[in-house]
Amino acid sequence: MSDEEHHFESKADAGASKTYPQQAGTIRKNGHIVIKGRPCKVCSRFVSVEFFLMQVVEVSTSKTGKHGHAKCHFVAIDIFTAKKLEDIVPSSHNCDVPHVNRTDYQLIDISEDGFVSLLTENGNTKDDLKLPTDESLLSQIKDGFAEGKDLVVSVMSAMGEEQICAIKDIGPK
Amino acid sequence: MQGFPGVGSDLQTLQASMHAIEHACSLIQMHMNPAEVERVIGSLRSSSMPYQTCRFILEASQMASARFQAAGAIGDAAIREWALLTEENKRSLILFCLNYVMERSSAPEAYVQSKVSSVAARLLKRAWLEFSDSEKVVIFNEVKQSIVGVHGCGPQYAGIHFVELLVSEFSPSTSSAMGLPREFHEQCQSSLERNYLKEFYCWAQAAMLGLADKIMSSSGNVSEERACAGAIRLMFQILNWNFTISDKSNTKSNVLPSGIRHDTVVLKKFDRTLIKPGSAWRDTLISCGHTNWLLNFYGALREKYSYDTLWNDSPLAYSTRQLIVQLCSLAGAVFPSDNGETQIKHLLQILSAILPWVEPPDVIAASIRSGGSESELVDGCHALLSMASLTTTALFDNLLKSLRPYCTVHLLAALTCEVVKALMNNQREEETWAEESLDILLETWNVILEGIYTDRSSISKDGVYAASNLFNVIVESHLKAAADSAFEDADNSEYFHASISKRDERLASYALVARVAAESTVPFLARLFQERFSALSQGLGKSDPTRTLEELYWLLLITGHVLTDSGEGETLLIPEALQMAFPDVVEAAQHPVAMLSWSVIDFSRQCLDPAMRSAYFSPRLMEAVVWFLARWVATYLVPLDTGMGNIKPTISEGVVTNGSQPSRKVLQSFGWENNQGNIILDSAIRISLVALTVYPGENELQALTCQKLLSVLVRRKHICTRVVQLESWREIARAFANENILFSISARSQRSLAETLICAASCLKDSETSLQYLKDVIGPMTACLIENTSRTDLKSVAQQADAIYMVSCLLERLRGAVRATQPRTQKTIFEMGYAVMNPLLSLLEIYKNQSGVVYLVLKFVVDFVDAQVVFLGAKETSILVNFCMQLLQVYSSHNIGKISISLSSSLLSESQSEKYKDLRALLQLLRNMCSKDLVDFSTDAEQEDRPDIAQVVYVGLHIVTPLISLDLLKYPKLSRDYFALVSHMLEVYPEKVAQLNTDAFTHITSTLDLGLRHQDIDVVENCLAAINSLASYHFKERSLGKEGLSLRIVETQGSNGLLQASVTDHFLRLLLQLLLFEDFRTELAGSAADAFLPLILCEQELYQRLIQELLEGQSNPALKSRLASAFNSLTNSNHLSISLDRPNRQKFRKNLHHFLTEISGFVKIK
Repeated sequence: MSDEEHHFESKADAGASKTYPQQAGTIRKNGHIVIKGRPCKVCSRFVSVEFFLMQVVEVSTSKTGKHGHAKCHFVAIDIFTAKKLEDIVPSSHNCDVPHVNRTDYQLIDISEDGFVSLLTENGNTKDDLKLPTDESLLSQIKDGFAEGKDLVVSVMSAMGEEQICAIKDIGPK
Repeated sequence: MQGFPGVGSDLQTLQASMHAIEHACSLIQMHMNPAEVERVIGSLRSSSMPYQTCRFILEASQMASARFQAAGAIGDAAIREWALLTEENKRSLILFCLNYVMERSSAPEAYVQSKVSSVAARLLKRAWLEFSDSEKVVIFNEVKQSIVGVHGCGPQYAGIHFVELLVSEFSPSTSSAMGLPREFHEQCQSSLERNYLKEFYCWAQAAMLGLADKIMSSSGNVSEERACAGAIRLMFQILNWNFTISDKSNTKSNVLPSGIRHDTVVLKKFDRTLIKPGSAWRDTLISCGHTNWLLNFYGALREKYSYDTLWNDSPLAYSTRQLIVQLCSLAGAVFPSDNGETQIKHLLQILSAILPWVEPPDVIAASIRSGGSESELVDGCHALLSMASLTTTALFDNLLKSLRPYCTVHLLAALTCEVVKALMNNQREEETWAEESLDILLETWNVILEGIYTDRSSISKDGVYAASNLFNVIVESHLKAAADSAFEDADNSEYFHASISKRDERLASYALVARVAAESTVPFLARLFQERFSALSQGLGKSDPTRTLEELYWLLLITGHVLTDSGEGETLLIPEALQMAFPDVVEAAQHPVAMLSWSVIDFSRQCLDPAMRSAYFSPRLMEAVVWFLARWVATYLVPLDTGMGNIKPTISEGVVTNGSQPSRKVLQSFGWENNQGNIILDSAIRISLVALTVYPGENELQALTCQKLLSVLVRRKHICTRVVQLESWREIARAFANENILFSISARSQRSLAETLICAASCLKDSETSLQYLKDVIGPMTACLIENTSRTDLKSVAQQADAIYMVSCLLERLRGAVRATQPRTQKTIFEMGYAVMNPLLSLLEIYKNQSGVVYLVLKFVVDFVDAQVVFLGAKETSILVNFCMQLLQVYSSHNIGKISISLSSSLLSESQSEKYKDLRALLQLLRNMCSKDLVDFSTDAEQEDRPDIAQVVYVGLHIVTPLISLDLLKYPKLSRDYFALVSHMLEVYPEKVAQLNTDAFTHITSTLDLGLRHQDIDVVENCLAAINSLASYHFKERSLGKEGLSLRIVETQGSNGLLQASVTDHFLRLLLQLLLFEDFRTELAGSAADAFLPLILCEQELYQRLIQELLEGQSNPALKSRLASAFNSLTNSNHLSISLDRPNRQKFRKNLHHFLTEISGFVKIK
């Protein structure tokens, strides 16, 4: 019984794994989960999920027969495609939880072919990220940039995919 | 018609308006162009003097909905323009409406007639205090003639319906507001009650008598039946009146010696109240045999239509039954003071008449199952409930004795049995009648059984026997239903609190029935439990136990309810009925309650055996076990030194209770005998540990364990001191602090577990041990958090799912710990909080994009401040305050100006609502800090170097408010919190506002603008209070010769576009606009007056100028002069002076009220 046991199990070099197994019963609403290979966010938890990368949006519990074990019924939204997926998992089983990273970059340029140029922390540029295709999202970024604001974009990445998920004006007021 | 208001126009104009309205109405029917429709109809309603047009439409239009709109417009316009109408006008409007409905009483569209009638009723009420008695007599004579049937059935019904609407217009709960103060409504109400109500009742009675003859002799004429049902409904409604003035009955004693009660309130549950019309009604209701006549009438009708199964639900039958049930609730001085004899006779009469509705129960239930009507049964149950509420248990029980060989409780039990059977046999079908009547019957049981303890009247042997039988039927049909449903999937709805609390409520009612016959029901339960238990162990491994498990589950629930009360938030006592029962038992081992308890507890212990557990103890069964233990421990492990007799001295008087004294003692103490108490506590802890560790993913079970069972163990001192001495408790604390296994229960359960464990610390007597214990529990959490946040590779590891999970759990645990803060443990917990302050800030930095973690950090700080701030001395306060400010700044720097982008609209709204939750937490944080200035327990004497909390909170507000966008203020809870905080701050520290910078100040005032137009009445009130404080502060400063807020400039909407003005200027304009031209709610007039007065005092010149502008804008000279005089009396009447003291404010409130009733109507006319 040492404090050792409470240490995060991940090592810094554990980058090879893109997901982490976590007991279905402990996944909360707004948590992330992989259903059918896609990362999702949970909308609601009926405690029941296969795995895509998603944000869980709903979770609720039910039981198989009154004296069976609890299952989680997840309703989740794919964080990259906005598709809604559902899954049912026994709540004591493990679900794959994706490692979702969000990184902030300063926006340097928007190129004509729909790519953005971003400034990384160590001074390099990152040029492989496309703008979202959806018109309204696109205009939110383009307009801000066109007005000459200093914009920081948050880039969410999970399981090898990347997407801009937020922008922030850091310019002087 | 003479005196009809409005200027007559030529036929063409009238027809044009009619066509416009008809066109609009046809658009409504086709659901087209709602904005246009609203405009056209709205313009009719709000136009000046639209009466001629409306009248034309009513008389000429072929389209019913157009007539309906026209009628509504008359009502609205007349109420609004009341002050402009002459006496003659008013009378002729009312008479026009009345004649209209009388003449067209047989017109097909009843809703139009009803609308016109209600307009007449509304106008008559508006005119009530102005018309002289003779004027009213003229109007009512017409009505009376129709009601008694001079003009035939049609007008008779129209007259009855008009009076019905009039009565409902005069009842406070159904009256329309009319923009008048409450006093007006009260005066009307009492005047009607005194002078007319009884007369109306007699008219209806006369109408009913006349019509009844015709109905009984001829073969049912539809319009006669309709009129008769109408008359009866009117009588019902009159009896629903909330009689206020006439009951002078002496209420010295609540219970007459004969057993009639006066103290009844329970009827309210089913929308029924006691009717106490007072002695004036005696001749009408009692002495003339009215009730008897009505009962006979119903009986005769019932016989006549016995061939027709649908008749029971016809309007006539329905309203007659309603009236009969209503007559059951008659009480008070309407009966002569003859020790309740007349009332008992009255009840007996009704009882004998309703017996055929409910008796014999099995035959009735069978007929309903085969398609018969259930209405009589349900109404019969209502009548029984009313009777039970009006009588003592003994009297109620004896009522039936004169009519039948058995007592009333016997009938009640038989009835309940049938309903329970019907309900349990057809659970899947829509058998609402069984649900409904069971609710009523159980309520009746509640009433009579509670009566046993309050009046100490007893129930007959026969009754007890009936109750015991009933309980057997209940248990058997529920067990059968449980076994049959054992294989169904437990659906989510089971976990909805509504259905659980409904189930618990019903079980609690069953338990009351069981307790009254405890001698037989408690052993009965014990036997059933033993049977199921041994069935389980005999079938070990051979047969599927699921059916038995579900039966045991249900038995655990009902046993828990029988043995204990729910008592949310109260100290649980052993149910009085169980203490009174078993007077002859002197030994604990023989006491049936003890025996039942032991057999359930023995069964519970079986789950500690791994083989038994895996075979039988399903999560659901464990839930019941944990729930039962929690309630049992809280009830039966009573402190040894306090005997129940001392707590309830009243009980120890009676003969019955004296006899049972030894058995009482047995019941009080059997829990602790032979060290059993400690053993049970030990088992409870071990069972909890099993539930938390062996049932992974069973969140409901674990939540129940942490929040119910474990928290019961530490709630009361005499239990907690024993608990903390147990080895098993140390084990659970050790597991929590040092082992990974408890990280797998849900984060919320970890929070409450932490709370429970820390709570227990204050029951360790030795402060040294207590400190050590705290350190053992808290130490590992804080150490882990600190160590992990100081890792060098933190950045790369932190975003991984397991790290996030671990951090979330630790934060929840810390939060649980601070919530358990008590004076004795406060210091240690503050040290813990102090240690994690910096790590928390770095977590906030690292997890700025993980909204879940950010929220947990904020919630921890909120709870930390809440628990600690009142205890802290100057130095600690400033540490805490600095930390909070840093936290706010870090949070703000990450979130200000941030826009989330997502393809999914639902994810977007999620992120919006996360933001909202964060902000709410921040506001809570500020509010908790405010409380330091109000409550302070610290012993620190030095006041100088303590931080200025007000200053700090304003700085906090300054940081937080830019984050709150006007969009976010649409979340009701957030806006309520925000405005409550702002108005509190402005009220308590107005002087600090002056020191805010311009941006912050402007933001606050602009949110106040928004809040003033908010839907939520509390928000508007808060805003008005805030403006009041601002203006009052300014006024006081200025009268001391200081500058106050004069330098504060905001943009305001002047008459010619935007202009720069002082704050008071701005709010004065805004408030004037609101009061005069917008839909201002009269219930806010008081707070508006409070805000308005200081504004006027501050800006007298501007105020005069604005009024001048207003008056010049008004073209109609008559209105202009009225407006001018209204404004004049607003500021000059009642000796208003230039000050803000309380009497002056009161005067101004009155003036504003008058002002609003005087002008609000016509200023809004377009």
